[in-house]
Amino acid sequence: MTRNIHPVLIALTVLVFIFLVGPLIIVLGAALSDTSYLTFPPQGLSLRWFGNIFEIEAFRRTIVTSLEIAFLSTGIALLVGVPAAYALNRYRIQLPGWLSTLFILPVLVPELVLGFSLLKNVATQFHAPIFISLVLGHSLLVLPYVVRVISASLAAFDFSIEEAAISLGSPRLKTFFTILLPNVRSGVIAAFILAFITSINDVSISIFLTGPGISTLPIQILAHMEQFFDPTVASVSVLLMGLTVAVMAAVERTLGLTFFAK
Amino acid sequence: MKRFAGWTLSTPATLLVLVFLILPVLATIVTTFATTAGPFAPYLSFFGSGFRRTVLWRTIQISLATTAISVVIGFLTAYVVSRSPGWLKSILIIAAVFPLLTGVVVRSFAWLIILGKNGILNSALLSTGLINEPLSMLYTQGAVITAMVYLFVPLMVLTLVGVLEAIPDDLLQASASLGAKPTATFMQVILPLAVPGLIVGAVLVFTGSFTAYATPQLLGGEAQMVMGTLMYQQAMVTFDWVSASTIAAIMVVITIAIVLLMTRVARRLNPMAV
Amino acid sequence: MTQALSIQNITAHYGTTKVLENLSLEVGEGELVSLLGASGCGKTTTLRLVAGFLEPTSGKIELGGKDLTRLPAHQRNIGLVFQNYALFPHLSVTDNVGFGLKQRGVTGPAKTKRVNAMLERVGLAPFGDRLPGALSGGQKQRVALARALVIEPPLLMFDEPLSNLDAKLRVDMRVEIRQLQRANGTTSVYVTHDQEEAFSISDRVAIMHAGRIMQLDMPETLYQRPANAFVARFVGFENLIPMMVVARDGDGVTAEAAGGVRLTLSQDQFGAIPDAFTLACRADGLAVTTGADGIPATLGLRTYLGRAYQYQCDTPAGHLTANGPLTRPLEIGAAARLVPVPEQCTILAPEAVA
Repeated sequence: MTRNIHPVLIALTVLVFIFLVGPLIIVLGAALSDTSYLTFPPQGLSLRWFGNIFEIEAFRRTIVTSLEIAFLSTGIALLVGVPAAYALNRYRIQLPGWLSTLFILPVLVPELVLGFSLLKNVATQFHAPIFISLVLGHSLLVLPYVVRVISASLAAFDFSIEEAAISLGSPRLKTFFTILLPNVRSGVIAAFILAFITSINDVSISIFLTGPGISTLPIQILAHMEQFFDPTVASVSVLLMGLTVAVMAAVERTLGLTFFAK
Repeated sequence: MKRFAGWTLSTPATLLVLVFLILPVLATIVTTFATTAGPFAPYLSFFGSGFRRTVLWRTIQISLATTAISVVIGFLTAYVVSRSPGWLKSILIIAAVFPLLTGVVVRSFAWLIILGKNGILNSALLSTGLINEPLSMLYTQGAVITAMVYLFVPLMVLTLVGVLEAIPDDLLQASASLGAKPTATFMQVILPLAVPGLIVGAVLVFTGSFTAYATPQLLGGEAQMVMGTLMYQQAMVTFDWVSASTIAAIMVVITIAIVLLMTRVARRLNPMAV
Repeated sequence: MTQALSIQNITAHYGTTKVLENLSLEVGEGELVSLLGASGCGKTTTLRLVAGFLEPTSGKIELGGKDLTRLPAHQRNIGLVFQNYALFPHLSVTDNVGFGLKQRGVTGPAKTKRVNAMLERVGLAPFGDRLPGALSGGQKQRVALARALVIEPPLLMFDEPLSNLDAKLRVDMRVEIRQLQRANGTTSVYVTHDQEEAFSISDRVAIMHAGRIMQLDMPETLYQRPANAFVARFVGFENLIPMMVVARDGDGVTAEAAGGVRLTLSQDQFGAIPDAFTLACRADGLAVTTGADGIPATLGLRTYLGRAYQYQCDTPAGHLTANGPLTRPLEIGAAARLVPVPEQCTILAPEAVA
C-alpha cells in the first residue's frame, strides 16, 4: 500500500532494465554465432570463437599481462591503502582534513591525463620499464576504491576492541593482524575485488602506457577490432563478463550484493 | 611513535600519490607554460584553431546531453527501485551493478553490434519495412551519446537509490498524514531532498563523459572527435606532446573546477547535511 | 469538530506474523486514551493502522462514524506527532507548520494568519524563519505539535513523542501537550512505554501486551484494581500468591497458599474473596514484622530505598519482596513474619492469572 507507483513509471523502469541488460545478452549471443562475422541473433551455435581466443598469441599474452598487473596493482593499493584508511579513521584528529582528499585524487584527475603524464614524465623521462609504469598507474587508479571501502568498514569498527586486546597484553602489531584485520575482512575482500576488476577493465590509463610487447587485454581487444571485426571480440568480451559474474558470486557469498548500493 | 602514528601509516600512500600522480600531472601542466613560443602560446593556438574549438564544443554538448538523459532516466528508475519490495530490489540492484563491473570496452562494443549497418537495429527496422536501406548510425553524435548514456545510467541509478533511501520514512508518512497526495509528496518532499545527491551524480557523469576515451573512439571515431580521442591522437599519432599536454591541462581545470563548484553548491543546498 | 474513534475487531499481520489479535477500542469525543506497553506489544502498529500506513487483515476503523479502513493515508485528515518529529529539513518552521494547510488549498494571508496564531500558542512565534536543523529537541517537538494542530483534525495521534527528550523536558512537555489537548478538546490517542507519562495525562489507559489490550480503564483503576496478573505486575504488584479458601467465618476468610502458609483476611478490608484467588501485594503491601501472624519468612538481601528497607524473602510460599521500616533494620538470615497490608494489596480472580 505504501509502495504505490504509477504504472507508467513501472513500464519505464522495465524498459530501462531491458536497456541495461539487453546489450550484454546481445554480446553473448554474438559470441556464440557460428559465422565469421558479427551478427545477432546468432546463426548456428558454436564455441569456436571462444577457442579462437587462446589460439591468438596476442590474446594469450595480454590476458596474462592484465592478470599480473591487476594482482600487483591491487596488492600495492592494499598495502599502502589499508594503513592509510586505518590512519584516517583511528588518528583522525592528528591528520589534516585534506589528506583524505589526497587519496581520492585519482578519481578527480581524468584518467587520460594520469596515463599521459606517467608516460611523459615517468616512463620516458626516467626510462622506467613500461610494465612498472602500468603497475604504478593502475595502483593509483584503484587506490581510492581501497581507501574508501576500507574506511567505510572501519567507520563501523569499534576501536575499543583493539584497546581491550592491548590492555590484555597483546603487542600493537600483533593486535593489528589478529584483531583488526579479521574484523574488516569483508571490507578488504570487497576492496580487493573492486580494485581488481577496475584494473582488468581499464583503458584510459593503459592506452598511453602500452606498446609493442606489452599490452593489456582491453587494449588488445580494441586493436583486434580495428583489423578483424569477428566474433572473437565478442567471445573475449564474454570472457570478461564471466570474470565479473565469478566476482559477483564471490561478493555475494561474503557480503551480499546490496553492498553496492552504497 | 604514537604521536606520529597517523602520519607514519599514511605516508606510503601519500608518497605514491605525490610522486606518481601529483608531480607528473603538475609537470605536464607546467610544460604548457614553458614552451619556447611563450607561456600561453599553446592555449592561444588551441582556442585559435577552429577544429579544436569544434572538438571542445562537441565534447561539451555530448557531455551535457549524456548528463541530462542519464539524470532523468536514473532518477525515475532509482525511484521505482527504492520503492520495490525487498526481493525485487535486490534483483534490480544486481541488474544495475552488473553492467558497471563489465568493462568499458565490452559495453561500448555492444553498441557497435546494435547500431552497425548489419546490426540488430537496422535488421529490425528493415524487416518491419520502416526503412528500405540500412541507416548509417555509427560514427554519429547520437551513437556516442547513446553508448555514453548506457555507460553512466547504472552509476546514476545506484547513486540515487542511496540518496532516496537516505530520506527517512517518517518524513514521507508525515507528508501523507498532512494530506499530500503521492505526487505532492514527490514534488514537495522527495525531490528537494534528493537535489544535492542529484547534483553530485550529475557532476560525476559530466566529468566522466568529458574525459572519456574508449566509447567515443569506438562509436564516434574520427568523424566525432572529442577531447579524449583528440588528446590520444596528438600524443600517440602526431607526437605533438605540447598539444596533448594542453588538452590535458584543459581537462584537469574543467574537471576540478566543476567538482569544487558543485560540491559547494550541493553542500549548501543539503539540509540533511548527509 | 472533534470526532470519536472506533476500532472494531482489528487483526493485523506483518507478513506471516500476527501482530494484532481481534483488537477493539472506543475513544470518545475529546478523550485522551493512551496505549501503554513495552516494545513489540502492538501499540505503534495500532497507531499506524489508524493513520493508514498499514492495512488490517480484518476489522474496521471508524472516525466519527465514517469508515476509514480502506481510505489512503493522505485522505484521513488525522494529525500525527512522530517520535523523531519528522520535520521537513528543507522547510522553515513556518513552512513546516503550514504544510498541511497548503495541501488543503489554504494559501496567502489566511494561511499566514493561522500559522502565526499556532506558533504563538506553542510559544515559537519568533522562530518562524528557522530551519529544523537550528532547533533544540523541545522546540522541534513543539513545531511537530503545531503542524498537527493547525489543520484542526478530528483526531490527534502521538507516537512516543517525548522519548527523545531528557527527563525534565519530558515532564514539562507532557503537561503542555495535555493542556493543549484539553483546550482544543481534540480526541487523542497517545502511544508510550512510559507508565508515569500515560497515567499522568490520560483519561483512560489501555495496557497492551502481545497484540491485545490487557485492560482498558482510568489510571486510578488500573493502579489500584488490576484485572489480571499481567496488569498487576505491570503496575507494580511484585508479589503474586495463589491461594485457596479453606474456611469462612462471616467476614473473615482463611486461605492457604503453597507450603502450608495460612492467612486470615477480612473481606471488609480486602474486598470479596472467591474460593480460589491470587493475592497480589506490592512490596509495600507486605509488612515485615516480628510478630506471630503472617507468612513466615527468612530475610535475604536488604536494600535501602530511602523511604524504607526492602527485603528479599524466602518463604514456604515462594520468593517474596517486602518492605520494612527504617527504624528497625533486620539482618540477613533473620526470621520475620510478612503481614499483608490491605491498601497495597488486591485480589485477583483465578481465570485472570495469565
